[in-house]
Amino acid sequence: MLEARDISVTLGRKQVLHGAGLSAQPGAMTVIVGPNGSGKTTLLRAITGDLACRGTVTLNRQDMRALPPHALAERRAVLPQASVLAFPFTVHEVVRLGLTGRIALRPDAAQLPGRALERVGLEGYGARFFQELSGGEQARAQLARVLLQVWEPVQDGIPRWLFLDEPVAALDIGHQLQVMHLARRFARAGGGVVAVMHDLNLTAMFADRVVLMLDGRVLAQGAVREVLSDQNLSRAYGCRLRVSSPPAQGATYILPQAAEMA
Amino acid sequence: MVALPWGRSAGHGATGDRSDRARVTILALVVFVMLAAIASLGTGAAGVSLGDVLAKWISGEELSVRERVVLFDIRLPRLLTGMLVGASLAVSGAVMQGLFRNPLADPGIVGVGAGAGLAAVLAIVLGAFLPPAILAVAGMHLVPFAAFFGGWVTTLILYRVSTRAGRTSVATMLLAGIALGALSGALTGILVYIADDQQLRDLTFWGLGSLAGASWAKLAAAAPIMVLALLAAPMLARALNGLALGEGAAAHLGVAVQRMKNLAILTVAAATGAAVAVSGGIGFIGIVVPHLLRLVMGPDHRFLLPAAALLGAGLLLLADIISRLIIAPAELPIGIVTAVLGGPVFLWILLRRRGIVDM
Ligand SMILES: Nc1ncnc2c1ncn2[C@@H]1O[C@H](COP(=O)(O)OP(=O)(O)O)[C@@H](O)[C@H]1O
Ligand SMILES: [Mg+2]
Repeated sequence: MLEARDISVTLGRKQVLHGAGLSAQPGAMTVIVGPNGSGKTTLLRAITGDLACRGTVTLNRQDMRALPPHALAERRAVLPQASVLAFPFTVHEVVRLGLTGRIALRPDAAQLPGRALERVGLEGYGARFFQELSGGEQARAQLARVLLQVWEPVQDGIPRWLFLDEPVAALDIGHQLQVMHLARRFARAGGGVVAVMHDLNLTAMFADRVVLMLDGRVLAQGAVREVLSDQNLSRAYGCRLRVSSPPAQGATYILPQAAEMA
Repeated sequence: MVALPWGRSAGHGATGDRSDRARVTILALVVFVMLAAIASLGTGAAGVSLGDVLAKWISGEELSVRERVVLFDIRLPRLLTGMLVGASLAVSGAVMQGLFRNPLADPGIVGVGAGAGLAAVLAIVLGAFLPPAILAVAGMHLVPFAAFFGGWVTTLILYRVSTRAGRTSVATMLLAGIALGALSGALTGILVYIADDQQLRDLTFWGLGSLAGASWAKLAAAAPIMVLALLAAPMLARALNGLALGEGAAAHLGVAVQRMKNLAILTVAAATGAAVAVSGGIGFIGIVVPHLLRLVMGPDHRFLLPAAALLGAGLLLLADIISRLIIAPAELPIGIVTAVLGGPVFLWILLRRRGIVDM
């Protein structure tokens, strides 16, 4: 069980988080939503140890920030919102960077980067230069690297965690669904997933637990139905929103949920 | 670039795994260095031929005193110095580029060499004023250590100035390098005025970069520092690979980022400082060697660092051979040879990748 309590972060002169907190269970997908600038990324970065913060972050009651980097790397992998690669690595070589710790000792380690690429729908892309991929392809290649780092959702009975910052923001709807299914499968296999999401529909569809943020605080967290209510959403996003209401006059709308109905 | 449907592949099989190619390259480089070493031992103004010496050795005949002196007291230390200096310059270039996350970061270009040089000159000129007791203890090690220290301070300043929150501004790095280089040059210039004749000769040799002064004594003073740096570098390989994704990502991959950066800076300073101390300013090895290798076998530092050491050693030996042959029986300072050969290659790198500076 992952627990972040009373997280406060000041960036520059601005206090970005005011005592935010969340709890997440392995085996479940926890999604952080909220308007732009509400502090989703900052909260995730505080939890993953990127940022210094006040408050506590514990994993199974153990202080997460007390673990040395290599031990943490065995427990969780992090997909940042954006990243720039410094040298001309091939896609295969980027994914292979995720091959750290004990996973690298497996007899089939050499095949794993290829399999990770298959999972994100990039089979055959290994020999391309990472820097020459499209934004969405780069995002999926990075996801493959992150998946590889925690290849087994549960290792020696200890669940491992995936932290994803807007994993589907740059993707088309087909790949959005693919990636969300991937994350869900990781959770179903016993791992923990904490994802920052932009898309409320995908959130409603895949989240087991939702954390709704506004202005550096957590407005509500809990089950999807409780948190994603008309009232909460209208308040958080500053406009009148109504859940599950098709647009008037039958305007075109395409919900990813439709993919499940076929 | 042509927009093929599948884009440009890195051109090596379907998998994108270039490690086999890297291993083959490294093997080829080992052979290259051995050939260059043999050629280097056989080259020189004294007209001692390696073939004669070998023939004598095989037939069990004694070498003449002249042959022994030329081979073992002149050419052998020069060979080893050249190899170590070439390897150190290339590896410190590769490590610095990994640390700054930029292929243009080179100790020579961004003023680390100049900083090391200033400290070495300080040691040469002001060392004379040190109490004899200290001088006796420090001895031959004074100059290499001063150069190491100078390189370290310069690298630290450079990193502080040009890197904010893990991001290096290339423009700031290059400009800071120019400023540091100019400052070091000016201070070195002042020192020239208070130097005596012998020191002046040392300093001139120094500015141009040369292996002509190589001796067992100088080698003994600088070699341990270079060897240490060369041994430390491979330990940085995984961390530098992670750093290519950014500091945050490196940390998430399990890299102790701050510790690794300190070690990288020390390695760069040690390798550059000691190389500068024995041979003066030899340019372009640190930038050209890693760049060529990245083209051939990719940027994975686990292979890049050893390959850079080998190619750097081999190329410096070749440059040294050229410097001894081209105006024989006189010889050209090797720094001139590497500049004449490396300068155009460097410009070609810039031409090929105009965008590089904006990264
Ligand atoms: N380095 C920084 N310095 C100052 N303010 C920052 C910095 N990074 C983010 N912020 C501010 O913190 C707030 C939250 O940012 P972020 O967590 O990235 O939001 P989001 O919910 O969109 O991910 C924003 O108002 C942003 O402007
Ligand atoms: Mg964000």
